[in-house]
Amino acid sequence: MDAVEKANEERQRRWVKDRKVGEGALLRPGREASSGRKVAIKKIKVGQFKDGLDMSAIREVKYLRELKHQNVIELLDVFSSKTNLNLVLEFLDSDLEMIIKDRTLVFLPADIKSWMAMTFRGLEFCHRNFILHRDLKPNNLLIASDGQLKIADFGLARDFADPGYKMTCQVITRWYRPPELLFGSRYYSSAVDIWSVGCIFAELMLRIPYLPGESDMDQLKTIFRALGTPTEEEWPGHTKLPDYVPVGQFPKPPLRDLFTAASADTLNLLNKCLIYEPRKRITARDASLLIFHIFYPVNKLLFSGSQSPLFLRNPLSNIPLETTKMRRTTFRSTS
Amino acid sequence: MPSVPTNDLPASQPKISLYEGSTQFKNWRYSADQLKHIRRTLNEAAVAAIRKTFETDEPGSSTGVAFLNADEELLLVKLYITKITQLCGHFRFPEEVEATAITYLKRFYLKNTVMDWHPKNVMLTALFLATKTTNNPISLEMYTTHIPKTAPNDVLDLEFLVAQSLGFEFAVWHAYRALWGIWLDVQNFPGVTEKLETSLYDAALNHVRASRLTDVELIYSPSQIALSAFSLVFPDVASQWMALKSPHEVSTLSTIVDDIKSIITTHGHPPSVESVREVDRRLRLCKNPEKVVGSKAYLARKMDAERSAAEKRNKKAVEVQKAMEDGDPFGNELAEKRGLAGLVDYDDDDDD
Repeated sequence: MDAVEKANEERQRRWVKDRKVGEGALLRPGREASSGRKVAIKKIKVGQFKDGLDMSAIREVKYLRELKHQNVIELLDVFSSKTNLNLVLEFLDSDLEMIIKDRTLVFLPADIKSWMAMTFRGLEFCHRNFILHRDLKPNNLLIASDGQLKIADFGLARDFADPGYKMTCQVITRWYRPPELLFGSRYYSSAVDIWSVGCIFAELMLRIPYLPGESDMDQLKTIFRALGTPTEEEWPGHTKLPDYVPVGQFPKPPLRDLFTAASADTLNLLNKCLIYEPRKRITARDASLLIFHIFYPVNKLLFSGSQSPLFLRNPLSNIPLETTKMRRTTFRSTS
Repeated sequence: MPSVPTNDLPASQPKISLYEGSTQFKNWRYSADQLKHIRRTLNEAAVAAIRKTFETDEPGSSTGVAFLNADEELLLVKLYITKITQLCGHFRFPEEVEATAITYLKRFYLKNTVMDWHPKNVMLTALFLATKTTNNPISLEMYTTHIPKTAPNDVLDLEFLVAQSLGFEFAVWHAYRALWGIWLDVQNFPGVTEKLETSLYDAALNHVRASRLTDVELIYSPSQIALSAFSLVFPDVASQWMALKSPHEVSTLSTIVDDIKSIITTHGHPPSVESVREVDRRLRLCKNPEKVVGSKAYLARKMDAERSAAEKRNKKAVEVQKAMEDGDPFGNELAEKRGLAGLVDYDDDDDD
């Protein structure tokens, strides 16, 4: 047998698949044979594609092989079996979508800030590695049992393009898609991911999607209704974008009207994520720094050895035991 | 302890360069001696295995065969590197596709030998895979119709093997990118600007391209290769750059640069067609019959595989039957038993 085949068999033997949960699940729980450590095995059928290994599988493998960060899901191994590609991923209990939808959970402002801090930190690492995620949404932000948030699903990710090279604007789930992509911009930056994080941030406070457009056109209208129609001064040149269409004039209501309970710091950060002009939108690095400063007084307390404030507890610790248990067996299907 | 995510800044993470965090840095760098050793070991193992297959097929049949040695294998791989360049010109693929495909081909033959897998097909597969991994996909049909005597399956059949041999590590760091960075850097040097004609950048880029025909990318970092290519055109400015960027390592770096320069100038040429033709002719006689579709050994191996698959299926059917008879139509115990024994059948598709 070939050395390569042999190596693959060894990899295969390292991981044990458990019973699948749900019909048609792409992701199933498994264990590391030697340690019993829980993992998730994502199976990708290859034979069905006439062009071989499909792009989303290739992207996922390519980027996760390189990215190792506490806030990015870890790809533990890859092996093949007959016509399937198997990705062995670290096991995560839950995702932000499930948590947002679970009405029994009460979020404290600090929970939201902590999730945002972890999201920005993971995203900063992606962007530092010149990788755009291009599909950030609550169900791609997974939560580990210890409360760590991990960015997952790199099936639409790509390297930053060189200046002057086009990228597709058909990326990012509609509700989280920034206006420059809706206007058909083919040259864009890491700012597209930041807009998505802004929408997620708002959703965490509202507990419902912030900008739920019903079609691409309606998405623009929804955005402008919430944030005001951009002026030329606010976003120079946007009327020259390929798919620009005027969708009506809406006034800019203060964010405070909708986010009544949010602190000034919180609204400030949210505002910076949802700036129309992509070049002025906050970067993941600056957002991380900003959150750090919001938390600074607390950190000082921690460093001096005082008892940790309530909100630095494990963000999931207020989940009743039953729901936690249920989550452990529920699997997200990746669409 | 619960994580406290907010007391940690991005800046406080351990400082390693992006390149040092890459799979290329961790898994695909060797010394010249290591490369020699790997290739010799692979070659010897292949010769032994193929000799055995020949003998099983027909005793005494391996005696007159002139197997390839490691250098000859490498020569053939080098020829197919030049074929990648030709095809990329034909398809007008970006430089990244070409450079990536060439890296894939080289890495593949650090895990496999040409006597098992002929570089012609591996080259076609590596290139097709590179179009996808660099985000420049084209349809397989478009790809194969533009390459003479190539069917879609010639490309797809090996895709899994190639991806596996690469360890599914698709990201590659390239010297031509680093060269562009150096080129931008030196624009700021005082008194240099007037010397920097675009034609000279192209000359440096051609040295980077020549380096792809050598082993340097398996030994040195992309920036070291780029610096050497640059130094072949602008030795003075290159020294200036070194003194500015890493003043404490100028002498080490100079040694490395001289080494790379000499490898590029001595080995950075396409092989002579005559010498390769002779190797390829002999390869036809000594390649692994188990991998040649239609040969006796190939059929024997295939039948073997089919027999064991059939046995597996039968065994499974019996187990399922038994589980049904035991009154558990979902086969709970069966799953547990299999899980315990670690006998998980990854080939079963019943979970889709």
